Amino acid sequence: MKKLVSAPALFAAAGVLLVTGLLLAFLYSPMDASTMGYSQKIFYYHAPIAETALLAFGISFVAAILYLRSQNDKWDRLGVVSIRLGLVFSILVMATGMIWGKAAWGTWWDWEPRLTTFLLVCFLYTAYFVLRSVVDEEQRRATFAAVFAIIAFIDVPITFFATRFLPAGMHPTVITSSGTGMPGSMFVSFFISMIGMTLLLVALIRRDLGIEELRDRVADLKHSIGG
Amino acid sequence: MTGWRQFMAILRKDLIRELRTREMIISMILFVLLAMVIFHYAFGVKEDVDLTYFTGGMLWVTFIFAMLLGLNRSFAQEQDERCLDGLLLCPVDRVTIFFAKTAGNLIFLLIIQVVAVPVFTLFFVHRGYGSDIVLFVVVLLLADVGICALGTLLATISMNTRSRDLLLPIIFLPLIVPLLIAATAATTTIFATGASFGVLGTRLLFLLGFDAVFMVAAYGTYDFAIGE
Amino acid sequence: MPLEIEVEGLRKTFGRREVLKGLSFGLERGGFLSIFGPNGAGKTTTLRVLATLLTPGAGKVCVAGHDVREDAMPVRRTIGLISHNPMLYLDLTAQENLRFYGDMYGVEDRDARIDELLDRLELSHRRYDVVRTYSKGMRQRLAIARAILHRPRVLLLDEPHSGLDPRAVDILDGLLAEIRDEHTFVMVTHNIAKGLEWGSQLMIIENGRIAYEHAAGVDPDAFVAVYREHVQEGSVL
Repeated sequence: MKKLVSAPALFAAAGVLLVTGLLLAFLYSPMDASTMGYSQKIFYYHAPIAETALLAFGISFVAAILYLRSQNDKWDRLGVVSIRLGLVFSILVMATGMIWGKAAWGTWWDWEPRLTTFLLVCFLYTAYFVLRSVVDEEQRRATFAAVFAIIAFIDVPITFFATRFLPAGMHPTVITSSGTGMPGSMFVSFFISMIGMTLLLVALIRRDLGIEELRDRVADLKHSIGG
Repeated sequence: MTGWRQFMAILRKDLIRELRTREMIISMILFVLLAMVIFHYAFGVKEDVDLTYFTGGMLWVTFIFAMLLGLNRSFAQEQDERCLDGLLLCPVDRVTIFFAKTAGNLIFLLIIQVVAVPVFTLFFVHRGYGSDIVLFVVVLLLADVGICALGTLLATISMNTRSRDLLLPIIFLPLIVPLLIAATAATTTIFATGASFGVLGTRLLFLLGFDAVFMVAAYGTYDFAIGE
Repeated sequence: MPLEIEVEGLRKTFGRREVLKGLSFGLERGGFLSIFGPNGAGKTTTLRVLATLLTPGAGKVCVAGHDVREDAMPVRRTIGLISHNPMLYLDLTAQENLRFYGDMYGVEDRDARIDELLDRLELSHRRYDVVRTYSKGMRQRLAIARAILHRPRVLLLDEPHSGLDPRAVDILDGLLAEIRDEHTFVMVTHNIAKGLEWGSQLMIIENGRIAYEHAAGVDPDAFVAVYREHVQEGSVL
């Protein structure tokens, strides 16, 4: 398959954007007026990582539907790859969130809706891999995994909504329905980081897909020589 | 009409079977009652500890774990003697199987609750909630439907895998947490202070939405979940 | 005569293992196809595809004029499957089992039909006993009642004689003789004698391909020689 952009170029673009975003966050964006101070800078990575994680799960949801419709292995591979990366990003969300929480409020863990949601998301998508590991036959494994990926993705916003039934958290609401609560100078840095993170996800998905395809081909070849 | 006759046939078969062997219901009731005793000693560190704010959580944790036992049984019997093949050979929409199995599991869960809730109230709830009984039943029913619908869908998948009953809790529990949160919050409020439909409105709507969303999701995916 | 079963280029893969590598055959209405072959050759897979329990990976499979993939429901109404697993609920009585399947198939005269079948299969005296208490032979008889309850045109038999004592084999054969004229049969079997006795058409599947096909009337010894020639592994006699 011919690619519009080469893999190194994609990684490089993501890297440049992410570094630029980080530099802007420290040098250009204003210091947070509240008590958070420098610790607030982590937001420029924390939020884009979170959105990228959700994007990855969104991709897996679409891939799952496409797999069930076509039974084409490539959608199963995309599902595996995007959920695996989504999981990695989710763990990073929790890590950066915890660091932020420690710096801003003096506690590593708080049962705050977003953080809790990501914790549950981690369990949910780990279960996806447990499910895959206990089905031997490939088509059946891909089918069950797709069904689960659909259900899991539907569950994410429901979980997020439900966690608010607990006492209100301390998470700053930055993006509200009335628009972003950010001054322009913050928004630029944030936006650049977000694009960078998204490009990073795309680059990683592409690379991992290549690896999975190779893995499948190796298995095919092994099989064909009776291995 | 065919669909309805098939739905009733599957439901009747499951009920007859369960009422004859009682293997699922007996173990579920015993589990629930034992859990209450265990909760009492696990949480009641001092004699005057007020468990009121734990009651909703205790109740729903118990029901969800009890249901895990039941769900595994409800499909294990289809695996015996390859009955599932017999079922799949029938000219029946797979979704009819889903609805019948969900209805059956719902009935079993309700039977458990009819026994367990009065005992639970006697043990742990110090406030009479007779005036909120309608509200309580609505919460119970809404949460039960969600538990059974999602549980039936996932049990169908897990019974077709190598590890069967081991897999079910791992895929079921993270998905059911939002329902647990809403049901617990609503139930605790009823037990502790009493409530009205207005106060619990959001939570009730949430439970209703949860049921609807996963019913639709199951409707769309059940053909795949039950195997080729 | 129209073809009751039509299979063309049937392929099926499980994971990377191609179990069926392009089968094509046909069976006329009223015919009896006996399929032989070693374990793992793809016999049961073929039968399960005909029964709509597996979807064909590639190729066209029609039963009674209906495509098993596109038109599974009418196919399911048309077929009955007798396998060595009775597919009965052990904690239900014979009557409850048959009522259940009767409802599932939408049999109009359910209770009359059940009476008729239980009489015919000499199970009336045990109809209110749970199947768990039945002997293997009785379960198999009840499984036959289950399979023909909805008056299928096509009967699929998966090793129906396996695990039966001689008496039960006699009963099964007696029954097959009785219903032979009303149905089209496909039987997968290891039992060459039975397969030759019943088959109007013979087929050996080996390694996912049809290794041999012949109309009935082959001398048993000659057939065994043919079988040996085509099938190297696995003794079946």
